[in-house]
Amino acid sequence: MSKLDVDGLVKRFGGLVALDGVAFAAAPGEVLGIIGVNGAGKTTLMNCICGIYRPDAGTIHLDGAVVTGMAPHDIATRGVGRTFQVPRVFRRMSLIDNLLVPVLKRRAPDRTLIEAAEAMLERMRLIDLRHNFAEELSGGQQKLLEMARMLMPEPKVVMLDEPFAGVHPTLCRFMIEQIEAMAAAHTTVLLISHDLTSIYRLSSRVLALNQGRVIADGGVDAIRGNPAVIEAYLGS
Amino acid sequence: MATATPSSRTADRERADRIYFTLAALLGGIVIVYFACVPLLGGNLAFHFYLMLWITMASGFNVSSGFSGYMPFGYVAFYGVGAFTTAILVKKVGMPVLATLPLAGLAGLILALLFAPTLRLSGIYFAIVSLALAAICRLVITNMPETITGGSFGLQLGSHAEPVLSFYVMMVVMLVALGTILWLSRSRLGKALRAVRDDAEAADMMGINIARVRLQGWLIAAFFPAVCGGVEAWYTNVVDTETAFNTLITAKTVIYAVAGGLGTVTGPVVGAIAMVWLDELIWRRFPLLNLLILGLATVLLVLFLPRGIVGTVLRWRPGWRRFVP
Repeated sequence: MSKLDVDGLVKRFGGLVALDGVAFAAAPGEVLGIIGVNGAGKTTLMNCICGIYRPDAGTIHLDGAVVTGMAPHDIATRGVGRTFQVPRVFRRMSLIDNLLVPVLKRRAPDRTLIEAAEAMLERMRLIDLRHNFAEELSGGQQKLLEMARMLMPEPKVVMLDEPFAGVHPTLCRFMIEQIEAMAAAHTTVLLISHDLTSIYRLSSRVLALNQGRVIADGGVDAIRGNPAVIEAYLGS
Repeated sequence: MATATPSSRTADRERADRIYFTLAALLGGIVIVYFACVPLLGGNLAFHFYLMLWITMASGFNVSSGFSGYMPFGYVAFYGVGAFTTAILVKKVGMPVLATLPLAGLAGLILALLFAPTLRLSGIYFAIVSLALAAICRLVITNMPETITGGSFGLQLGSHAEPVLSFYVMMVVMLVALGTILWLSRSRLGKALRAVRDDAEAADMMGINIARVRLQGWLIAAFFPAVCGGVEAWYTNVVDTETAFNTLITAKTVIYAVAGGLGTVTGPVVGAIAMVWLDELIWRRFPLLNLLILGLATVLLVLFLPRGIVGTVLRWRPGWRRFVP
């Protein structure tokens, strides 16, 4: 059974159709790469799934339950986490507090949550900066912090929006290892990136979008040679 | 810095907590002893009463601005409504003054609920709307029948004046406000409020119900100025719309809170102490230029210490953030 099921998703902004009948399913532990040129609808798709945008038509199922049109905090509570193209950390909060935010509703004692946050920061190699404000981190470190914050509540589905943009190659390799670890832990990963090398390396399946429509959905080799994808990227 | 082991991190956390609470208890103790001694040693009662009032007002404002990210320029509305609630209940209903003070706070909460839809706004839009709503509150009370609000003459509480008792009540209100903010700064609600302040949409996607959290912060921020209004009405024994809804009350609250540094417990306390003292000094030396000089001092402070006194110190010494309440 698929963890995430999107069917006939439509999102319009006035006369602009940003998503036009997008449909796909993603299984537990699957890394689904989502590619497309700028304006193809990748981020809009993420925003619809996590509840920021209310779709005009179509349905989104998470673990078989409909989550279409739910508030973002309700969808997050049901196990959907995400990162952003430009890191959106809580700037004037310590790294530990940043990580505690997604688990504030947990009944666990504060001490348990803090220890879990410290363990997560250790995993992300940020432990020595745990008392710093997030605004004091570099761009790459903020990306790691976002990833750590996303993983804190142990989400079932994660969506990574351009995780490798503007990141040093060494850090990029570390992030790839983390994404592989998420998949190994049976987390469904939706990965948006313009870095096709990383997408092809990580993804078991790739979804290509163009002008809000799915133009290709399949394995890496099939997508690489797909004429519609080549045309969307390189022109006819 | 070498990477600490989990056990050393626990020890480090416990040490930081110990320092934090010791410092909070020490500062609280100094504040209690200092203010408690003022009437006993024949100190300047009025100066210290208003110092406590401004500490409470600035601390309440800190919840709205420092924790939640809202800048309510109409903050005086809560104060004014609290003052009139106490005055009307004492003068017209004949209730004991002390019994009216929780009701003044309740009136502030009700007003905050009425204003709650404005929490959908942010930044300057929220600030302007809250200023307009305060003006509306003032107009509504001004235009109510004279038999209730006393019209332009206001209400005089007559024989209820008890300066020393009202001084100690103000002290209790200040301590409750500081205790609440101390709790808030360490609580899960405080963390949620700060997350919403920094990035509401991101907080929403992290599972925070931003509407609920904002409302909770807003209610806390509204309660204390309303009680302050009630206590001040008792202390001065007179309430009128001109003074109870004076925009200078909001202005001073904002200046004192910003001067100390928003987002910490000690910031508004330090800001209020520094600025009230400065205000008093300027008032004595240059009574005619009081507001002008205070304004200039505020401009300089914002230019050179944009994060306030405590905020700037903590920026220079980030390691102290864990220890300073």
